[in-house]
This record gives sequence, structure tokens and C-alpha cells, in this order.
Amino acid sequence: SSREHKSNFKKSKEVCLSYIQDAMLQKQWKKAAEFMTFYVESLEKDFSTEYMGPSEMIWRIGTEILCHHPRSSMKEFNSFIEQMKTLGVKRYLKVCLEHAFHLLCNGQIDEAYQNLSLAESWRFGEQTVIQDKEMKLIQAYRGLLDYYSWCKQKNILLEHGQDGFEDLSVEQEMHRCFRKAAVNLKEIIKIPGVWDLFVKCYVDLLEFYGDHNEARQVLNEYAYNSKFPANPNAHVYLYQFLKRHGESKKSLISALKILHDIAPSHELMIDFNTMLQKSKKRKKRRLGLEVIFAALDYAGWKENVKAWRCLARQVKQIAISEKHLDWIKQEWNSRKSWWPAFHFSRYLAKRDWQGNESLSYEKALVAGILLGKDCKYFKYVSHQGCKAQVKRFRILKKFVNKHNPVYLRICH
Amino acid sequence: MEFPTALFPSYFGAGPPRDETGPAPAAGWGEHGQVLEAGPGRRQAETTFVPRRSRTGESWEPADAAAVPFLPPNASCWVPLLTPQDILYHGILRRKLRAGKSGAALNFTKQLGHFFVDHPEDAFGSLGQLLHKNFHLGNSKLRRRVRDTTIRMTALREEIDRLEARRGCPRRYLASRLRWFSHLSRDWLFEVPLGLLGDCVHEELLLQWAGLLFDDSPTGGALAWLPPKDAEAGTGRLVYPGGQAMNHLYFQDVVLEGLPRAQGSPAQFELNGRIRQVAAAQADGEDFVGVRSDYHCGVWRVPGRTGAAPTPLQVIRTSVPASCLTVSPHLPGELAICTQSGAVYLWSVETGLQRLRHDPQTMFFRDHSPWRWSDFTAHPRVLSCADRTGLQCLDTRAPERCHFDLFKIGEEAGCQQGERVVLPVYLGRAHPSQHLVTTQFSVYLLDERLPLVPVLKWAHMMKAPPLFAHLMPGGPRRSHKVLLGASRTQELLLLQYQGERLSCRGGSRTACQLVGPPQKLHSIAGCLQHMPTQLPHRHHLLQQRLSAPAAGLAAALQKDGPWESLLVFQLSEAGDIFYQRLMHKAAQPPAPLSGDEPAAAPGSSRLPAAALRYRRWLRALSKSCEERPRHAWPPTLSQKRLFTRKELEVPVGPSTLHGQARWQLRQAMREGGRIQRWDPPAPQPPPLPQPPEPAEGLDPLSTRLTVAWSGDWAQWMSFNMAQRQRALRERRRQQKRVRGRRSLSASFTSSLTYQSELSELSDAAPPPLSPTTLPCEGSPPPPVGPPASPAPEEALLSSQSLRSRGIPKERRKTLRDYLAVWADGPPEPPEPPSSQASQLCIPSSQSQLSSASQPRRKRPRMGF
Repeated sequence: SSREHKSNFKKSKEVCLSYIQDAMLQKQWKKAAEFMTFYVESLEKDFSTEYMGPSEMIWRIGTEILCHHPRSSMKEFNSFIEQMKTLGVKRYLKVCLEHAFHLLCNGQIDEAYQNLSLAESWRFGEQTVIQDKEMKLIQAYRGLLDYYSWCKQKNILLEHGQDGFEDLSVEQEMHRCFRKAAVNLKEIIKIPGVWDLFVKCYVDLLEFYGDHNEARQVLNEYAYNSKFPANPNAHVYLYQFLKRHGESKKSLISALKILHDIAPSHELMIDFNTMLQKSKKRKKRRLGLEVIFAALDYAGWKENVKAWRCLARQVKQIAISEKHLDWIKQEWNSRKSWWPAFHFSRYLAKRDWQGNESLSYEKALVAGILLGKDCKYFKYVSHQGCKAQVKRFRILKKFVNKHNPVYLRICH
Repeated sequence: MEFPTALFPSYFGAGPPRDETGPAPAAGWGEHGQVLEAGPGRRQAETTFVPRRSRTGESWEPADAAAVPFLPPNASCWVPLLTPQDILYHGILRRKLRAGKSGAALNFTKQLGHFFVDHPEDAFGSLGQLLHKNFHLGNSKLRRRVRDTTIRMTALREEIDRLEARRGCPRRYLASRLRWFSHLSRDWLFEVPLGLLGDCVHEELLLQWAGLLFDDSPTGGALAWLPPKDAEAGTGRLVYPGGQAMNHLYFQDVVLEGLPRAQGSPAQFELNGRIRQVAAAQADGEDFVGVRSDYHCGVWRVPGRTGAAPTPLQVIRTSVPASCLTVSPHLPGELAICTQSGAVYLWSVETGLQRLRHDPQTMFFRDHSPWRWSDFTAHPRVLSCADRTGLQCLDTRAPERCHFDLFKIGEEAGCQQGERVVLPVYLGRAHPSQHLVTTQFSVYLLDERLPLVPVLKWAHMMKAPPLFAHLMPGGPRRSHKVLLGASRTQELLLLQYQGERLSCRGGSRTACQLVGPPQKLHSIAGCLQHMPTQLPHRHHLLQQRLSAPAAGLAAALQKDGPWESLLVFQLSEAGDIFYQRLMHKAAQPPAPLSGDEPAAAPGSSRLPAAALRYRRWLRALSKSCEERPRHAWPPTLSQKRLFTRKELEVPVGPSTLHGQARWQLRQAMREGGRIQRWDPPAPQPPPLPQPPEPAEGLDPLSTRLTVAWSGDWAQWMSFNMAQRQRALRERRRQQKRVRGRRSLSASFTSSLTYQSELSELSDAAPPPLSPTTLPCEGSPPPPVGPPASPAPEEALLSSQSLRSRGIPKERRKTLRDYLAVWADGPPEPPEPPSSQASQLCIPSSQSQLSSASQPRRKRPRMGF
């Protein structure tokens, strides 16, 4: 009966698919390609109403096989994708986008550009939400490619600018690229998302043409719009922009303060700390101490000599002046239960001493002040340092011994 | 750690997941995802791009054709697990039942029938005994006298047998006699009311069925690899469960030279429950191993030196099954535990337990699963907490206030409908702020610094949800490897990703990329065809054993000169451990040496070696299974053993004593009397030693024993009763005089002892039974967590309890008010050495109450 036939067909289709999957997962691309030629038959009777129909599966699997098959070429790949584009309307934009990606990764930027332009002009009835998003992405990527050709023209212009010929046509071309890129890039960065690449390019364009206000607005929007995810890069770009334009310390600090709040372990925290330490205001220096303590809480900073140096410097200053010991005390209170095991164990002393002498020096200084001269870390490192007759360790030992009362005041 | 200078573009939306449902069979193939500019290309003529899913990764080729047994088979005759056929209807009935509705048709009547047949005593015990005189089972006719009170059951039984024979026949008529009997007896025949029994059976069936569909208890895996401390030593450790009930914990040294092999016999610990999960992490140069069973969690420390014995540190008991145990990679002796009641604890060996959260509800939307998970993050004081709906990070120093959402099932991560979190893993060894989250459809890579937006997403296309994951961090310029494992289908998948390496020209840091195609590894079941040929029934048993669900996954990196290989260990629920090797093919394969022997990579394609292992394993398996029946007999007692041969020896000649005894016996038999004394010329019994003169102030027990010794027990009893009554009365009188503040403070003390109890994690463990009675270490941890329950105050204030303290009615109200004031804001507890304090303060006549409120000791008990 036809029903039985149908179910048998379905079953053999599934079996064939599982063979293909197995072969692909074991990197047997030739075998997978052979099975694939049988699986294409499933297109003939595509009754499925499933979310992913055979046409999409053939596109996905075929692409993957052609990417890995030892005897496939770019030409074959392109013709396969062209066929796939005609196969399903629903997935047309997606296939175009992926095709463009493939071309871009293989360095065929012009072909990719053509492809994107073609896809952009495609219309078919009413677009679904996903298609709308894909269309926006296509436009954005085309804008990105326009930006790169703008860059190219700009470089030509800068190099040949002195000679004074060919100026006009290159310049016109450059402006044309600018306009096309700006329109598309501007569109996508309005939608909530992660658009680091597009934002950077758009800001670069605006800055070149001196539209600093617009650029600042774009960056502010990208960093502070609550509909966007809390992306540390948004704040980094803003900070870099402000720095480039020689903004006041105050606005730089406020930009970094927000970055500190969302990502206390960001590498810019060292810059932030140095900036704050130089400040004359007590409140800011206090914040600097907080920032560096918070950064060193994170496992990724454990062996960061720069960060330890910052902390050591500030702690040393406080210890010598004996002012603001309460700052250290407050920071230390929430950490004294776990920093000794996390940073200042004997095992770490040994490892740091063997692996990185300056790290062990900075850490030993901090340990000596925070935990006193009897702390395991300080004892081990200073002992080893004196044994190896390194001068700075001898000075360190003297310093810590001299300032041991500081430790007593921090702890009690 | 540095953040990438630019991330791959992606949309970000909030809200519930999209409409697409169900697993898509090929969803993971064919996409680049997005592209990003590679490196600072502006100065270059052409910009280059990198895709989010790159096609080229490191090449790891399997060295063997199938997984190879690593250790001898687990010494147990494994009982195959429940299969759907056991509890589902099949045949006509199933089709009938399924015609109307979808879903599984559970064979309820069959299970009930099994219960009646297997446990008749429990099902019908008492009425059966009461009525057995009134039921006649023989073939003979009943006599007139008993016919009034007895019914013949023979016909009924015959009809039941006939019914059985006619099973499946659609035209069978319903026996009226049977129907009549069942109507008659339904209400009174059963020991357990039928409705209640039915409910219980149904509930259990549903549980079993849910377990068959998806069992999350082995999440995380029960196999752990402790890497060698220094690369030269080359001796790591494998930690795994074994034994008949999977309740033995083994620490096996493994030598990584050539083919990996076990060295020496493993250190072994017998535990008190089936081991569900073994988690390990290295902190401060030592390995810490956490072991989770349903109601106990324990932690072991493995010193850094090779060959040093692991030491058990602590055990805790939970009243609700634990669902997660992870070990901190930052601080030694810290673990995170979750229980199915929705509680998350930070467990420190030194300071005890700290409850961070207790919420039976799921976080982002409602989901029925009680499963919870917790892991560590880049910040040693911040833990991630997960349920099926997503992940949150919370600060242990202020768990109520400081938390943020790390991952949500929803549009934020582009999830599908019905997608649920299966396993979160902290990838700290590869990158300090990255996490892996697997769902039944996809894997996500997350960065704590950019919450909610997955850095990577890939549809893994596995048939069963990945319950196990193992990370192999790659060095600089190398990819990190992640192994995913499923339980029921034994699937193993190798993924590679590359994160934030410095790009070739330096300066720019690229975002995370998935590199290379995913790779499927061998499963245990796949080695069946490489095993020696077996007789059909043996083959079937072997097949069953090999296709047992996987229970754990671990991997080790082995470096042998220029060759690098990846050893992947897989544990099955039957307790067998298999391994496979993957050889790394570097871009330039090492030139084959001109010599003949060392040209091949160590141990590659040595098929004979593998075949030998298969043969040995099989031999050991059949041996252990054949031995089993001998042990299975019920134990018998040999008569011979009651007396030794010497005792049974017949004396050479009858002694006079024998003769006399014999004569006496005969005499007594003749007279029908009894023998009063065996030995006629009885020597005088030794006189009772005189008890020492009872000294003054002897304790009651000694007095009683003394009296009993001298024989006047009964007299003593009556005297003693009177004495005690007198004493009691006297004491009552005294108490009335001094009652008041003292009894009040006493009751307050006893209420304090309640407050320091942990509501859920208690240590009222049964006394340690197993040989692993661990020594208690350290001082008992201070009370942690908020007061457990308001019960003690209520109990104190109830008029009954006040009455029992002998407080007159008119003063009870005053007392209640007074206590209520105390209960509102209890002053600093005077830190009573609780058990002693309560005994000292509470008058002895109230000792019953105090023993009921006897504080449980806080220290975790060491009996697993």
C-alpha cells in the first residue's frame, strides 16, 4: 500500500541520514559524499512539515562535505550553493549570507560583495522576522565591505596625495564608498546586539569626516542603551574615543568606572588604577585601591606582575605614610578569610619564586604588610631571596620588619 | 585575562525562545556563523576574515579500531537495567490504549499482578490467615457440616488458569464467577487498601518511566583523572567507582608510557551508597576529590607526591538527594553542593557549610525538575548556580544581594522551545572566565564578562543529552579540546575551540572560534565485534553488558617525545572502564626514521595487543559470572561443624560416671519421672562468695547487683519501688520551691540548641558501619545558616509543655509573654557547650523533654 511505502521510504531516508552523519563525524568525507548522492532522492518526495526539511539538510550537509572533501574545488562549491539557492525560498537569504562568509574567508572579497548586493535586491512576498534580520545583516556586511574599500581608497589618497594627480576620481570613489557604508552600518547598530565590528568602522568613518558629535553619540548609545547587552567592548571603545580626543581626566575616569562595575577583571583596570593613584583627591586614590584589590580577586590576574606591582606600590605608600590604614583594613576585611590560601600559600611561594622572581617580590611585599613578617609566603620568598643574595629582597625584609606595626594595626 | 578587541556580530533580544521545536538532525553542519576581520588588516592590501566556525582544526586520529578495556571487568554480575518493555503495554492493548492519546501506556495491571504473586503475605496476609478455614482448595466434595461456612475455591482457580491460557484472544468471555468474587472481595480482602496501593504503584511507575526517558543522577560523571604533578613523572591517577553496588571508590595509579597501564593495586574505600559523581580539581598543588552519592557527599585529599595515599577529609549527609558536587579549583578544600530541594551550599572543609540559596522554584520560568547545579567561577567567592532554566552567579559573601544572570533559556541565547540546561561546566583551566553550558540540542560557550550572550553556540546533534564533559586545555596557539559524553547512548564527541590567542601579527586578540569539524569517538558497545566469537547466549549477555549506559568520562594527555596522544577513558554503569587513544597529527608529520622498529608511533596499530586485552577481559568476565551461582545458594549450616572431631570421639571405655548416668536415665524412663540431678555424688557446690559489705553511697546499679547476688531480689524490688516513689515526691516538693527563673533559663537553653541545627544537612548519621570509618578532623564547625525552624518556640509555649514542666496554670501566660519577648530578639547566645549545658540546667524530672531536644552534633559524621 502507499502508506506502507511512504513509511518505508521515510525509514530508509532516516537510516541514510544517520549513515551520512556517522561518516561525517568520523571525517570520512568521501563515504559521506557517496551516501549523500542517495539522500538527494529524498527531495523528490518532500512531504515533511518539519522545522528542518530535506532541502535545508542537503544544503547544510553538502556544504560541510564540500568544505572538507579532498577533491572539491571552489568552483564546485559555488555551483552547489547556486543550486541550493533556488531550492528553498525560506532559506534563500541565509544561504546567500553563508555563501558570502565562505567567499570572504577564502579571500574572494569582490565575489562576496557581488553576492551580497544580489541578495539585497531579492524580494519575495512578506518577510518573516528572521528574514528581516538576515536582510539587515546582509546589508551590514555589504556596508562593512564598502568601508574596507573606502579604507583602500583613503590609503591610496594618502600615499599619492603629495603627487597631486588622480586626486579627483579617487576622492569621488572614496566618498561614494563612505556614503554606502555609512547608510548600512548606521542601520544595524540601532538594533540591540553585539556590533563591535560595525560600530568601530562607523566611528572611524565619522571621525575621518570630523563628525565627532555623531561619533560620540553612537558610542554613548552603544555603551549605555539598556536594551543592548552589557558589552565591555562598548565601554572600551568609548574610553578610547575620549582618550583620542583629549577629554578631561574626569570623563575618562567616569567611563572606566562603569567598565569597572560591569567587568572588574578587565585589563584596562591597570590603567584605571594608575590614573586614580596619580590623582590628588583622596576619594579617587581610595577608589584606585579598591579597583586593584578587586582585579586581583580574579583567578586570571593571579600571576599578573603589573597588577601586583600597582598594589604593592600603593600599599607601600600607605604603610610608609601610615595614613589611610583604614582603607587597607576595610579592603582586607572581606578578603582575609581567603586571600592567604588563594595568593599567599607556601606552595605558591615556591612556585612563584621558581617561575617569576619579580612576581614573588611584589607579592611578598604585599603579604609582608598585610599578613605580617611571619606569613609563610613572605618568609619563604625573603629567605630564598636573601640566600640568593639579591639586594632588593634584603631591603624588602628590612622594610617589612620595620613596618610590622602596620600589620598589627590592620589586623586588630 | 584580556578581553577580545572585537566580538562576532550577533543580535540580542529578550524574551521567550523562538517557536522552532525539536532536534534538527543536521543543524550543526554547514554554517560559518559570522565572520570577523582577522588581525589589524588596515595597513594590508587585502583584509582577511575569520569565521566563527572554522573548518580547520587540529587533527586527532584514532589509534585503535575500537575502545579497549583498560581494567579487568568490574567484579559483579551486572543486572541489566529496566527497559521500556518491562513497564509498557505492548501488543493489541497498547495500540488500543494509544489510539486516543499520545504518550506512553504504562502497564499498571502487570506490576500490580507481580506484587500480588511475589508478596502474597504483604498483600493478603491477615485476611488470608483469618479466612483460610473458610476456603477449600481441594478436589473433594465438602461435607455437609462445613458447607455452610466454607466455599470451594477450586473452580475459581481453574477459571483463572483458563483465563491465562486464553490471553490475547479477543473473544474471551468474562467469567462471571471471577467477576462475582472480585466484586465481593474488593473492599476487604487486601491488606493495603487497593486504591492506596494502586496510587503508590502508579507513582512508582511514573518515576521509573521518567528515569528511563532521562536520568539526571549521573550528571557530571563518576570518573576523574588526576594528572601527573610534573610532566616527567608520567604517573597519573584514575578515580572511579566499582564493586557490585558501585559503592567502592578506587584510586588507581596509571603509567603513561607507551600503552597506558595500571600500576599496583588501587587504594580502595568502601562507601555507604552508590557513587553517582566523582569530581576532582587541583588547588594549591594538591588534588581534591569530591564524591557524591544520593544522600552523602565526601571529600578526599590526594597529596602531590606520587604514590601517596589519598586521605578522606569529611563527609556530610543530606536528607534530600544531592544533585551536584563540584570542587573548587581556587581554594583547597572548598566544594559546592546542590540538593534536589533547591538548596545551594558552599562547603569548606575548615569552616563547614554555608547555605547560599534555598529556592524550590526555578529561576527564570517554571520547570518541574528539581535538578540543581553549581560550579565555581573566575572569582573564588562567586559561584554559579544553575537549574534547567539557566545560570546565575552569586557572591557567597552576600548571596541575597549580589548576583547576576549568566545564561537564560530564551531569545537572549537564541534557544529553541523546550530546550533545557543539562550540564554547566566551568572551563577555568582553559580560560578563567569561560563556562560551557550544554542543553539537549546545543552547546554554548559563555564569558562571565559578557553575560547572557553566548560567545559560541553549536548544535551538537547528539541523540541523548550530553551529561558528561571533560576539558583538555591547549597551550598557547593550540586549541582547547572539549569531550562531550551522553549516558544512555554512550556517544562521545570531541570539539575544539580556540579562544583569545594572540593573532600571528600580535596586538589584536581574536574572539572565540570553534575550530575543525566535531569528531565522534568510539563507544564501549562498538568493541563487541572485536571481541572473540561467543556462543549465542554468551554473546547476548556480552552485548547487554557492553551497551550499559555510560557513567563517566575522563581524558589524559600523553606526551611521548614528538608524539602527542589523547587518552579517553569511559566508564559504564556496569563499572567497566574502557579507553581509546587519539594520535595528534601535527602539520608536518614526523619523518619516518630509517630504522625499522621505532618508526611507528608508540603503540599505534598494535592490534595483537588490543586483541589480547579483549581476550583477557572476556575471560575474566565469564569467570566472575560463573562464580556467581555458587555464592547464590542460600547459606546452609553444616551439622559437622557444631562439634569438633575430638568432641565427638567415643571414649575408649565407659567410665563409671557414664554407667551411673545411663542407669539413672533408664530408671527415670521406667518411672516416667524426670531426672533431677545428673551427677549423683554431686560434689558440694562451692559456696557463694560473700558480697562485700555494701558501702555507703553505692550507685543504684551496684546496689541492685549486690542484692541480686545475694538472692533477695524480689524483696529489693518492692523496697526499691517504695523508696523511689518517696524520692520522687520529695524532689517534686523541692522543685516547687525553687521553680521560676531557673526552669525558665533552662528552657531557653534548650531552645537554643534547636537554633543551631541545620534544617536540611544534618549529621544524624547512622553509626559508621563501613571500614572507612574516617577519623574526625578539626573542631566542630560553628553553627551556620539562619535558625532552622520556629518549632522549638512553639513547642515551648504550648500549654501542654508548660504543664509538663509543672508550671501552674495562672503563671503560664506570664511565662509565655516572657518567652515571646526573648524569641523576638534573642541575645547573643552564651555559646553553650550545648549538650552539657542542657543536661545541667534542666531538672531531672524533665529529662524526657530534654532528651527529645537533645542537640544533634554539628560535626559531619565520618561514616559514609
